[in-house]
Amino acid sequence: MRLIVFAAALLLPLVAQAQDRAPILMDVTQTHILPRFAALSETANTLATISQSDCEPGSTDLRDAYGTAFDTWITVSHLRFGPSEVDDRAFAMAFWPDTKGFTPKALSKHIAAEDDAVHSPDAYAETSVAGRGFFALERMLYDPAFADQGTAEYRCALIQAIAADIKANADAMADDWQAYATYLTQPGGESPYRTQDEAMQELFKALSTGLQFTSETRLGRPLGTYDKPRPKRAEARRSERSQRHVELSLISLRDLAARLSADHSDIAGDLEVAFARTLESNQSLDDPMFAGVATPQGRFRVEALQQSINDIRTIAATELGPTLGINAGFNSLDGD
Amino acid sequence: MTTRRHFLAGLAAASVAPVRSWASVGAPDFLAAAQYPDGTYRLAGLNHQGTVLFALPLPARGHAAAAHPLKAQAVAFARRPGSFAVVIDCASGRVLARLQSPQGRHFYGHGAFAANGARFYATENDYEAGEGRISVWDADSFERLGEFPSGGVGPHDMRLMPDGRTLVVANGGIETHPETGRTKLNIPVMQPNLSYIDLNGTVLEQMELPAALHKNSIRHLSVRADGLVGFAMQWQGESTQCPALLGLHARGERPRLLAAPEDLQSTLQGYAGSVAFASDGTTIAITCPRGNALHQFNVASGAFTDQFGLKDVCGLGAGDEGLIFTTGTGAFGAINGPRATVVARPDCLWDNHLIPIGSRA
Repeated sequence: MRLIVFAAALLLPLVAQAQDRAPILMDVTQTHILPRFAALSETANTLATISQSDCEPGSTDLRDAYGTAFDTWITVSHLRFGPSEVDDRAFAMAFWPDTKGFTPKALSKHIAAEDDAVHSPDAYAETSVAGRGFFALERMLYDPAFADQGTAEYRCALIQAIAADIKANADAMADDWQAYATYLTQPGGESPYRTQDEAMQELFKALSTGLQFTSETRLGRPLGTYDKPRPKRAEARRSERSQRHVELSLISLRDLAARLSADHSDIAGDLEVAFARTLESNQSLDDPMFAGVATPQGRFRVEALQQSINDIRTIAATELGPTLGINAGFNSLDGD
Repeated sequence: MTTRRHFLAGLAAASVAPVRSWASVGAPDFLAAAQYPDGTYRLAGLNHQGTVLFALPLPARGHAAAAHPLKAQAVAFARRPGSFAVVIDCASGRVLARLQSPQGRHFYGHGAFAANGARFYATENDYEAGEGRISVWDADSFERLGEFPSGGVGPHDMRLMPDGRTLVVANGGIETHPETGRTKLNIPVMQPNLSYIDLNGTVLEQMELPAALHKNSIRHLSVRADGLVGFAMQWQGESTQCPALLGLHARGERPRLLAAPEDLQSTLQGYAGSVAFASDGTTIAITCPRGNALHQFNVASGAFTDQFGLKDVCGLGAGDEGLIFTTGTGAFGAINGPRATVVARPDCLWDNHLIPIGSRA
């Protein structure tokens, strides 16, 4: 009898392991995703409104509104699927890294030509993705190279156009995520996810690629190599937001990780310990633009932070991933 | 580490020793990198029956390789972004030379020999400039002779055309930098192409897909005896879209794109790993390790003919008849018409590609 039960278990491993993911899928969409996109829409609207009455690059109100809206973008920047990837919306919000300097080129081109697109949100949305979003606006607000290009009037119109475009983009994402949330919570039918597991895997991918981006790109770009550190490649260094972005992204990823591991308290515990250690390591840095990477001491600390994020990635890949049925194929995971 | 003196002594010895042909090592049909059960990485020589004729140790996980057209020698690349490749004598397993990419460059894991075996070409990333390069090496001394632009960003696979005078390069379009691992730095503005370049580096022709497909990274190639190029792609755009992952291109003509019906195409996760024409050239296939599928098409009509469900399938090449495939779970199989058969299951994990030895590409 025992033998028969054992054989049946071998034949039906998938059925035996199938779990009801509905509570987690509901929790992640309602508590992690939707409120963050609502906040993005709200802060982007404030930014656009303030820019209409105050387009002075040095204005505290404008810069504050910019910072608050950019903060809310960073907290959703790991959710790069579904409505966020339609029409390159995520890239239109944040064109970074910009390895070939397309953003300043696009802005200079608008200014030199006094491009009319700034007077129509629809027209501006059709211009180069590099001239849109928070990194374009950062140039206009913080980069001295743009303080005197063209006329003050055109620069003002350009700032307003970029802010209005961010708002339109944020509104579109927030709206579409409301509908898309149902695809995650109710897979099958019209949903691009055939099963709850596929929806869970999409969310897991958002966690792992979010961690990867913060480690390899947000920290990796300024770190460069020991012989050639690249502090000027730090993300949003002109507005001194580089370290802040690492913190905001980690806080958001910690929230997602905790929800995804809700059914596995041991894994949730491991993740929480690793995130807490990493956030502590980031807070103790006190290096807003990662300028310290140019010194051996500063570099050591940023490398330690990067290693700490990589430890989280290992826990996610080796402990959490397998509970979600992530296909650990020799080739399928490797990419080429 | 081979010292220069040892290296030169080795070359002197090689020049007096008789040149060993592929026949002397059991006449393998393919090379493939693999992970063995003991965890070691090896470069294996395989025949069409799936018999492992040799399995030589590699310093790390291998990727693709290139087979010398005459001598039993292979250039095995480290996984990208690797900065070295090793030239292996497949008769003795000895490392004859080590190819090192210069400062500021790394290999992309693919290369091709000239028809007479005198030169070797490799795809490289000039990562500060974010531009592709083809390096040129003397295939006897394995000294670096020079380089030329690849005609795009992120060159990946490269083959010698049947005319023996032209290289076809898959410029995948994706910019990466070793400091940021495999993070893709330019997705919104990527512009892949297929470039035909003569052996002096002159770009003869470039094929770009329509603008709506600019995020379809052209990665892997197979070339038919008449010069028809099959190219496999990896989609970097919206995951709700499922564009074709296989294309055909003949010089001077427009490309043709081949896809399965949407319900099947949508299961591939936008990822094709390898492409090959079958031995008679009338059939072409792609492997899709993320969708655990192999898709077969009729070349003349472009019609999708068969789907085979194969877990982690990736390596693909022409067999005596039909096609040969390998999987990351250890299977070695043959496809003939609508039938797939696993013919051998050596106890190892096959890496992404089956590299043809001899005339077949």
